[in-house]
Parts: sequence; C-alpha cells; structure tokens
Amino acid sequence: MSNWERLVWNQRDALLSGLGVTLEICLLAFVGAIVGGLLLCLVRLYVAPLRPLAILLIEFFRATPIFVQLMWVNYVWPEVLGWPNTFFTAGWVALALQSSGYLAETFRTGIEAVPRGHREAALSVGMSRALIFRRIVMPQALLTAAPSLVNQFTVVVKSSTLVSVITVPDLMFQSQKIVNVWYEPIEVLTATAAIYIALVFSISQAGKYASDWLRRTYGLQG
Amino acid sequence: MSEALKQSLDLALFWEYRAVLLSGLLFNAGIFACAGLAALVLGLAAALLRLSSARPLRWIGTVYVELFRNAPDYVMLVWVHFVLPLLLGLALRTRIEFHPFLSAVVALGLVYSGYFAETFRAGIQSIPKGNIEAGRAVGMSEALILRRITLPQVVRRMLPEGLNIFISLFKATTIVSLIAVPDLMYRVSMVTQQEMQPLPLYTGAALTYFAIILVVATLLRWAGDRWSRSVLA
Amino acid sequence: MTEPPCIRVVDVHKKFGPLEVLKGVSFDVHRANVVTMIGASGSGKSTLLRCINYLEVPTAGAIFIDGESLGFREDRTGRRTPRPLREINRMRRDLGVVFQQFNLWPHMTVLGNIIEAPIRVLGMSRKDALQVAGECLQRVRLSDKANEYPARLSGGQQQRAAIARALAMSPKVLLFDEPTSSLDPELTDEVLNVMRELAEAGTTMIVVTHEIGFAREVSDRVLFLHDGSIDEDGHPDQVFTAPRSERCRQFLAKYLK
Repeated sequence: MSNWERLVWNQRDALLSGLGVTLEICLLAFVGAIVGGLLLCLVRLYVAPLRPLAILLIEFFRATPIFVQLMWVNYVWPEVLGWPNTFFTAGWVALALQSSGYLAETFRTGIEAVPRGHREAALSVGMSRALIFRRIVMPQALLTAAPSLVNQFTVVVKSSTLVSVITVPDLMFQSQKIVNVWYEPIEVLTATAAIYIALVFSISQAGKYASDWLRRTYGLQG
Repeated sequence: MSEALKQSLDLALFWEYRAVLLSGLLFNAGIFACAGLAALVLGLAAALLRLSSARPLRWIGTVYVELFRNAPDYVMLVWVHFVLPLLLGLALRTRIEFHPFLSAVVALGLVYSGYFAETFRAGIQSIPKGNIEAGRAVGMSEALILRRITLPQVVRRMLPEGLNIFISLFKATTIVSLIAVPDLMYRVSMVTQQEMQPLPLYTGAALTYFAIILVVATLLRWAGDRWSRSVLA
Repeated sequence: MTEPPCIRVVDVHKKFGPLEVLKGVSFDVHRANVVTMIGASGSGKSTLLRCINYLEVPTAGAIFIDGESLGFREDRTGRRTPRPLREINRMRRDLGVVFQQFNLWPHMTVLGNIIEAPIRVLGMSRKDALQVAGECLQRVRLSDKANEYPARLSGGQQQRAAIARALAMSPKVLLFDEPTSSLDPELTDEVLNVMRELAEAGTTMIVVTHEIGFAREVSDRVLFLHDGSIDEDGHPDQVFTAPRSERCRQFLAKYLK
C-alpha cells in the first residue's frame, strides 16, 4: 500500500470532514463580514457623530494581521466579554472582523462611484432620498462591488487555514493530525495544498466569469 | 468583566517585556525584506513569462502564477518547511533541514510573487501600444524599451496596488511564529506561557501591529504619491 | 393670455462660493410654449435650468410652478416658510428632466427605468405603469428595445429612452439640459426629431441647446444668456435675424458660420 493510499485515500473521511468545517467557517465569516462591512460603511457615511469610531474600527480591522486578530479574539475576548465560548466561534468571528474592514471600504467605493447624474435623474422624477438609496444607489454599488466581494471570499478561505492553530478541526487541522500520527508529511500536506489551491482557484474563476457577465449586461465597473 | 477589561488595557506587562517582544519585530522585518525582494524579482519574471510570445513559456508562467497566487500563506509555509526539505533530500539522497527563517522567506516569497506577477502583468498590458511602437520606430531594442519605457510607467501605475501587496506581506510575516521563528507573536506566546496573562500581551501585540501598519502604510502612500507626481508626465 | 404661466422665474440669483453664475434672471413660460436657451459655455444656462427643478437652489429669487412657489410656502398673511424636501419632491413630479448624460439607471432595463417612478412615486399599479411605458416608448420609437439594458443601446437610443422615462410621469413641463451635446453627430437627428414631435404635440418645453437650427425651427421664444443674465429675449425670427444685443449677434455669427 503506497503512502498515498494509506495517508490520503484512507483518511479521506477525516479530510472531507475537515473540508466541510473549512467551508462552514468561511461561509459564516463571509456573511458576518458583509453584515459588519455594510454596517460600518453606512455608519461611516451617514451617521456623522459615530463616523470617527467607524473609521477607527475599519482601520483597526484592516491594519492588524489576521493571525493577531485571531489570537486576540480567542484569548482576550472571552475574558473581557465572556464570548466567544468555542474555538469555532472565535475563528469565524475573527475572520469576519478582518474582512468587514475591507468590505466596508469596498462598499463605500461602490456607493461613491454611483454617478451623481443617476441620483439627479431620480430626484427629478420625485423620488425621496430613501427610495433613491434603496433602488438606485445600493443595487449599483453592490454590482460594482461584486468582484471585490468574490476576491475577499478567497481571502477568507486562505486565512481560514489559521483557525487550525486554535484547534478548530478544519482541513489544515485534520491533515496536520495525520502527519502527527504517521510522521509522513509529504503526501498529506501536498494533497492538502492541492485541495486549497484548487478551491481558491475555482472561486476566483467563477468570480471572473460573473464579473465579465456583469460588465456585458450592465456595462458597469471598468 | 470590567476587571478583565482593565487587565487587558493595562499594558504594563507588555511594556515590561518590551525589549524582548519588540526585538521579535526584527525577525518580521528581516523576513519581510528578504521575501519582498524575492517576490518582486520572481513576480516580474513570471509576468514576463506570461507575456512572452512563446506558448510554452506563457504556459509555465500561468501555471506558476495560479499555483502560488491561490495558495494560502500558512499552507505554503508548512509545506515548504516540512515537505520541501524531504523532497530535496530524496532527490539528493541526503538529509536536508530548512532553517525556519529560510522556509519563511521562500514560502512567502513564492506566494507573494504570484500577486506581484498579476500586478506587473496588468500594468504592462495597460501601457498603450503606441508607446512601445514609438520605441521600436526609433530603433530601440526590446530590452531597452522594457527598461526605459515600459517599466517606469508600469511602476508608476501599479504603485498603489504594489504597496498594498507589500503591506499584506508584512502582515503575513506574523505566521512565521508557527514554525518557531522567534518573531513578535512567538515571543508573546512564550511570555504568555510564563506569566499566564494573555490579555495585556495579545492586546499589546494587536495595538503594536496596528500602530506600525498604520504609520508605515500612511508613510508609504504619502511617499508614493509625491514620487508619482514628481516623475509623472 | 389670462392663464397664469406654467413656470415663472423671478429674479433668480445663483452663487457658487464667490462666483455669481446667475445675476437676476426673470422670465415666464406659458403652456404649450417651447422656450430655448442659448449662450456660450459658462453663461449660466444649465445652472438656470437646474434651478427650475431645484437641483440647484437659487441664492436669491423664486421659481413658481403653476403659481406655487418651489422654494417656500406662503400662508394667507404672506409669511414665508421654506418648503420641506418632501414637498419639493412632490412638485418635481410635474417637471420632467432630460439630462445631457442621459443618466439611465444601468441596473434596470429600459422598461424598468421608465416604470420605476410611476410605480414607486405615483403609486401606479404595475399593469398601468407598463401601459403608460408602452405608450411613451412608442412616442420615442423605441418599443423594440424595451427589455434591453442601457449598456446595449446607442447614445441616441439611450437619450430617447430617457425622454420616455420623463414622459411617463406626465409632467407639465419638460426640461432639456443640452440633450444632444453628448451624442455623435449622426445620432442627434433621431433625438431632435422626437423633440420636434413633442413640441408639435403641444408639450411645454424648456430646452438648453447648442443646436441653433433646431432652436430656430421649433421654439416659440429664444433666450440668449450671457454671463448670468438674459441678454436677448424674443421670437426666434427676431433673435436670429435681427438680434438687438451685440453679444448675441457675435455669438450667432460664430455659430452660424
């Protein structure tokens, strides 16, 4: 029996379960990042008294490395806030915080990129400001931001490998466990690397197709 | 809860160990410098491969870029540190071990060369063909055109994107603690084990990185803007 | 004519910082009239048009739509209070605007663009809005492009779609801000033809334009603006053949060369 068979194929259940955890944590983190990013962006743009706080948070989440944020959320938050209470939660929260900083800026760029004329046309047919924001500005901003959103998702997937450090049983964790048991890293780690690369590559490609389709249909984002 | 909050904001412990902790940053800086240089050089080479007229060269360039651009930093780090020495050892029939510093430089250098390659390629392709044709028309060699016409413009156009990649690289150096390079995070975890007080230490680390990156990023952007404007036509 | 003017502009001034762009402009527009505004760039004609629907707020002076002031409310004692944005929006429904940059919303089809305001602002049912949209598209001869996204249309088609969008609100007055200036020369005719038909059908129109030929043929009245004031105001026959103002004469000489 070759090492490939012994270490990779026979362990596929563990590896697949790890992949499942990875995807789970990434999706949770991404949704959290979109919510957090939108919140930060809207507060920054439209809630004047809280603007400095929003900007501070955005810069903080963007400037601190994900590994540092992960340690911080995992070790400091439970003591101070009493939460998160599982490693899994700490994992996706840290990932979400990191990406929310970037997405806040992405959304802001998207909103500010909506041409003034579109707002004026909406004003000229008597639309209220709330209506304009909901029907004209946000849809265009989201369409413009879509490629950046996909890109940020790949960043989340790549960063998620670090949650193995706080013992979340993702793909990286499972493959390292196999290495620690059998002391033969070559096959397992190469297979794991290949899986991650393939995953990120597929997401990127899908994003590119979507972005091209968007540009052809709506003529947005140069 | 407020006791814990007080504790984490009371950075006295971090301050006490500051010499040990902050000297760890030297490792971050060193890896950043070496990996950054490697990433620039390899990235440029890969970009040129992707733009060459020979199909097999283009293919090699594309495979290289897609391989490393899509690889997570941590996975590459672990693979370079644990697998690559074994593979080389098998090939050379001897036992090879990588110093963690080397592994870090190689792993991060490869991954970030992928990002630089894409940036360079986009930049080179955005130079209007007319500029290059004008160079050919006055008899400049391809190498000369690259050096005097293409690259200066590429650098100027891709400066903001390039700076962002460098900033990401610096942030990425924090993971080298995981293969026992004694950088800031490694020393923080060591001191934590000793003193059993993670709060001020991890908070201090977060604030330190925040301060450094904010300052450096702002400085770099300011310097980049000034340089762009002074040299830009 | 005993009917009150559709639009009355009274002594409107507009300053941008220290720069005064409109220096006391007054004129009336009556129902079914077509008024064209011509003048050099920077003369303030676009600013004036944008003041009429309060996209720009005049620093002094007043705009009256069908006798009601746009900027303020006047009660029986003559006291004035500034009008809230909500009410200005309501009054804006009576003024359709066609912009130089078309400003079609790219994430909606042509049809979507046209029915958006009737449904969301006028509260029309979707069925009714679609019917109105269909009629408007027919008037601008764009029915076959109803389900296309603006990105797929030529400039002339986009501008005609924009006209249909403005028409769908059944406005009292249509304001045109240099509608053909962004178009390639071959495409201006299709838009001008539509505008001509609208004028012949009795639409009240205020048009800012460089198309002197169009202004001459279609307008009932021509205003020549220079440096923020109306320098010449009269019937096209008079303004174009025998302008009283010297600056107007010079301007026309350059254009009709």
